[in-house]
Amino acid sequence: MIFVAPWVLVSLLALPLLWWLLRVTPPAPRSEIFPAVRFLLGLNATEETPARTPWWLLALRLLAAGLVIIALARPVLDAGTALAGKGPVLLVMDNGWAAADDWARRKEAAAALLDRAERAGRKAALLTTAQDGSGTPIAVSATMPVADLRARLAAMQPQPWPSDRAAAAEAMHTWHDNTDASVIYVPDGLTDGADFSRFAAALRDTGSVTEICCDAASSPLLLPPTSEADRLVVHLAQAPRVTPTAASVLAQGGDGRTLARTNVTIPAGASVASAAIPLPPELRNRLTRLVLEGPPSAGSVVLLDERWRRRPVGLLSGDLSTADTPFTGSIYFLKRALGPFTELREGDAATLLKRDISVLILADRPLPAGTERDTLEEWVRKGGLLIRFAGPRTAEAATNDTDTLLPVRLLAGDRQLGGAMSWSQPAGLAAFPPTSPFAGLPVTDDVTVTRQVLAEPSADLAARTWAALQDGTPLVTEAPLGAGRVVLFHVTANADWSNLPLSGAFVDMLRRLVELSVGVASAQNNVTLAPAETLDGFGLLSQPPPAATGLQADKFGSTPVSPRHPPGLYGPESGRQVLNLGTSIAAPEPAPPIAGATLETVRGSARERALGPPVLAFAIVLLCLDMLVSLALRGLLRARVSATAAVLLLLTIPAAHALSNSPNPAIDTRLGYIVSGDSQVDSIARAGLEGLSEYVNARTAATLFEPDAVQPGQTDLSLYPLLYWPITADAPELTSAQAAALNDYMSRGGIIVIDTRDAGSGAGFAPGTEDALKRIARSLIVPPLAPLTGDHVLSHAFYLLSDFPGRFTGDTVWVQRDQDRTNDSVSPVIIGGNDWAAAWALDAGGNNPYAVLPGGQRQRILAYRFGVNLVMYALTGNYKGDQVHVPAILQRLGQ
Amino acid sequence: MPNDTLAAEALGARLPPLLVAADRVASTVAQGVHGRRRVGQGDSFWQFRRFVSGDPLARIDWRQSAKSGRGAPEGWFIRETEWEAAQTVSLWRDASPSMRWRSRQVTVEKRDRANLLLLSLASLLLRGGERVMMMQQGARSVTSRSALESLVAELQAADDDNGLPPLVRLPRHGTVVLFSDFLSPLDEIRALISRFAAVPVTGYLLQILDPAETALPYQGRVRFRGMEADGIALIPRVESVRHAYAERLKAQQDGLASICATAGFGFGVHRTDHPPEMALLTLYQALAAR
Repeated sequence: MIFVAPWVLVSLLALPLLWWLLRVTPPAPRSEIFPAVRFLLGLNATEETPARTPWWLLALRLLAAGLVIIALARPVLDAGTALAGKGPVLLVMDNGWAAADDWARRKEAAAALLDRAERAGRKAALLTTAQDGSGTPIAVSATMPVADLRARLAAMQPQPWPSDRAAAAEAMHTWHDNTDASVIYVPDGLTDGADFSRFAAALRDTGSVTEICCDAASSPLLLPPTSEADRLVVHLAQAPRVTPTAASVLAQGGDGRTLARTNVTIPAGASVASAAIPLPPELRNRLTRLVLEGPPSAGSVVLLDERWRRRPVGLLSGDLSTADTPFTGSIYFLKRALGPFTELREGDAATLLKRDISVLILADRPLPAGTERDTLEEWVRKGGLLIRFAGPRTAEAATNDTDTLLPVRLLAGDRQLGGAMSWSQPAGLAAFPPTSPFAGLPVTDDVTVTRQVLAEPSADLAARTWAALQDGTPLVTEAPLGAGRVVLFHVTANADWSNLPLSGAFVDMLRRLVELSVGVASAQNNVTLAPAETLDGFGLLSQPPPAATGLQADKFGSTPVSPRHPPGLYGPESGRQVLNLGTSIAAPEPAPPIAGATLETVRGSARERALGPPVLAFAIVLLCLDMLVSLALRGLLRARVSATAAVLLLLTIPAAHALSNSPNPAIDTRLGYIVSGDSQVDSIARAGLEGLSEYVNARTAATLFEPDAVQPGQTDLSLYPLLYWPITADAPELTSAQAAALNDYMSRGGIIVIDTRDAGSGAGFAPGTEDALKRIARSLIVPPLAPLTGDHVLSHAFYLLSDFPGRFTGDTVWVQRDQDRTNDSVSPVIIGGNDWAAAWALDAGGNNPYAVLPGGQRQRILAYRFGVNLVMYALTGNYKGDQVHVPAILQRLGQ
Repeated sequence: MPNDTLAAEALGARLPPLLVAADRVASTVAQGVHGRRRVGQGDSFWQFRRFVSGDPLARIDWRQSAKSGRGAPEGWFIRETEWEAAQTVSLWRDASPSMRWRSRQVTVEKRDRANLLLLSLASLLLRGGERVMMMQQGARSVTSRSALESLVAELQAADDDNGLPPLVRLPRHGTVVLFSDFLSPLDEIRALISRFAAVPVTGYLLQILDPAETALPYQGRVRFRGMEADGIALIPRVESVRHAYAERLKAQQDGLASICATAGFGFGVHRTDHPPEMALLTLYQALAAR
């Protein structure tokens, strides 16, 4: 701790004077009312020495005065060691993407070091290692007072691109204010390219370096995902660490909602890791970004465009019966080729088009005029991609010239090459024309075509040809139709006419075609896409910075992000392309500490804390205390301490009663009631079970928790020993799932108490429940029933009962008739109409809101006792039944 | 009007406990105190005496006469009862502001204690068949215990007192009992007592003091304020004047005692931290001895 203004402490010498002054000044007199004051008048003449201020009050005042003096001397805690040098301080701050995740702490650490520079009265300059969005080159700022620099520091933001080490080194070399300078370096922990050593040397050359380091490991960098058949595989990269790193990746839709998440663990020492996000295609098409959970930064966001969306493909063959036959079926090879990377659907055209599909492949299925062709044509016009394969049927249909949903007119019949009766050789594949989507695929010469359908020559045939045979005859032709496109393979989709389906080229070609099918024709490669929205350093989409310029459509995969090309969305609204930070960035490499630098940790370089204000506040508290004490000494303070304490006590008394709650029904025993749908009946049932649970907790060793509402068929009933079921007159018949759940529950030892609530006077309250019970019980497996009598275990499971009243009384209670040994002769169902829950119910004040009829506390107690017996019966089964035999057993044992 | 109603309600609320306390205190004292020991009007038997001519026939005790076995009229006996002559006792208690005070060590104000003692004494006297009246304008003497409540009403009505009993016509040879702290100058009190003695009446002065007034238990620098505009005293060290104060108080009490002795009055001191029964017993015996 140091004092900024130590000379103020001299005034501590004045404290003895204050002591003396306080000693000689008598305290203010107490004021008392006294009837016999007449006798006191004139008595003070005999007094010589005034009363003294008590010593402890004097000490309190001196302490307060001393604290005020100390506070005015401005003590500072955690003052770090002074920076080396006497000249200006250069603050070098990495503000590339890797610095964003703990940006606030970095700024704080930098500010803490600036505090020291300010205390030493030094000026400072700022250098950021990443270029800002305005496109101005990196340069050291003007040297200015620290207070001015602080404002600039506060306004600084991390950038979404990496630091430019070379330019920063150059800027330091050209800085001229560096006489006796020192450098504060706030690194982001990454080398950001090969120029780090030059940068480090430049730092050392500028002055003595203080580096804030070592515990600010940057978070991982999220790389663009790869798309697989039913999943999206996310990749993470980071500088290797000695401990495993756990991270979560969220897949978010356009509205910002998280649709899926996955956990990735980067093993110790590894620099990359992957994890899959399984997603149904409909959800996957809604994804717009992947986000790494944690502090926001540009490196933790990957934007997704059309390339990562799935395109479901429908398959439809001409001959449905043999379509799937291995090796010969018309769609067998299509399924093998498309299966790994797309979702395939089969069925007839109507079924397929019911859901959204991107591509529909017809394998040798002619389309004569009719509803199917109309539907398909409409679908294509709306943007679908129809891929057709030729075959004998298509060739035959071409003879009639009825099939119009083809890119070209076909000549009648097919053409056979290289057969036994032909002179010609099977034809190979020619190089793909550059306008074709297949352009760039390797052309293998192992593909041969023996039969094909031929297109009728026309002027634009060449333009419509995407693939041709070596003799120039088209193999794949296409024609746009409305917003969509029709593509025709002039061969079959199986190996009958060519061995194309057997080759790898087939897979690639189909893949390219499916990628073509987004409904968005990919932009021309040489079109420049203007930036629309770009990410800032914290991974938020915002307006592009001034320096951002357009990017050619085909350069998206190879352009590193920079101020000119910030990561973000490019192109028009209808066809956005994405430039991601992770696409073309070098693997993150950890930067070594600067040689010879003084190292300080981010956490260690905590802000200096000025102790003055708290000390002053404490002194003021002491002075307030002094004032209260003085008032009390003069008798002016009537502290109503006891009243205040009583009020506080009243406030702290907890609510009167509450059953403990626990979220896990499997751990704690609790009762359940079957939801009837009538909110009043359900609330009575709930209140009743709560009242019963409290009664049971108070009087038995059983501990019941808050009752639950259960829905048979939805809730797992096996967790409840006893279910209470109030029947309403309008109760619907049980669904089969509900009946199955209840029968299963009963057969495995559960007990259901069915309450028709219509005994005695209840008939007026709940008319018609008898019929509802019959309706419900129809689908339940109810054993033969008998009236509950005094020798049943239920009547002496805890209390000895001969009567079982609830809110009403007098109704016969029915239990399982014969004491058969299944289920330990515990009755799975207990039926009565006494409305027990209403008798048990407690309101918030702990009172019984429902009067028992005909009435009397005895009836209420008996109702509770019957409830306790029910609970005990459910929890202990026929245990009390066995106790009946104890005398006989003892007798046989000779006791 | 609302004020009257409120006052009446407050009075009603306070009445029963006050009366009950007064009755309780009185009943503990009543035992062992005897009547006049003279023949006269009364209920209790005193003696038999022979019939003399002129005695009303109705007073002859025929049973006693028959037992004597002699003829009329020398065998006739008259049954005589003890005289229970009623005397009027006038009561007054000081209701000045200085009585409405208590120190922190006790729970009862001087005036409340005076009220309690007054009512207890009244209850006791009424049981003994005496007549009791409040010393105030328009007050009438009462004889039955059921009239205690009207005494309470008069007690409440006499709130605006100036520290001295009002000038009312008192029955001659009656008794007055004055409850006060008697802190006013001795001359005033002497004038008062000599006025009473001229009626003539005798009586008793009970000085009711708070324990703080006798002991002066304060410490340090204290500013004392009186309650009846009798000045402010700033005492730098109360401890040092305690003795002088006690002497002054003693002088006041001695003065009071001598005034009373001169006029044939009784004088007693009661502290509010002492039980009221003691004071009542002293008071009652002093009155009974007269």
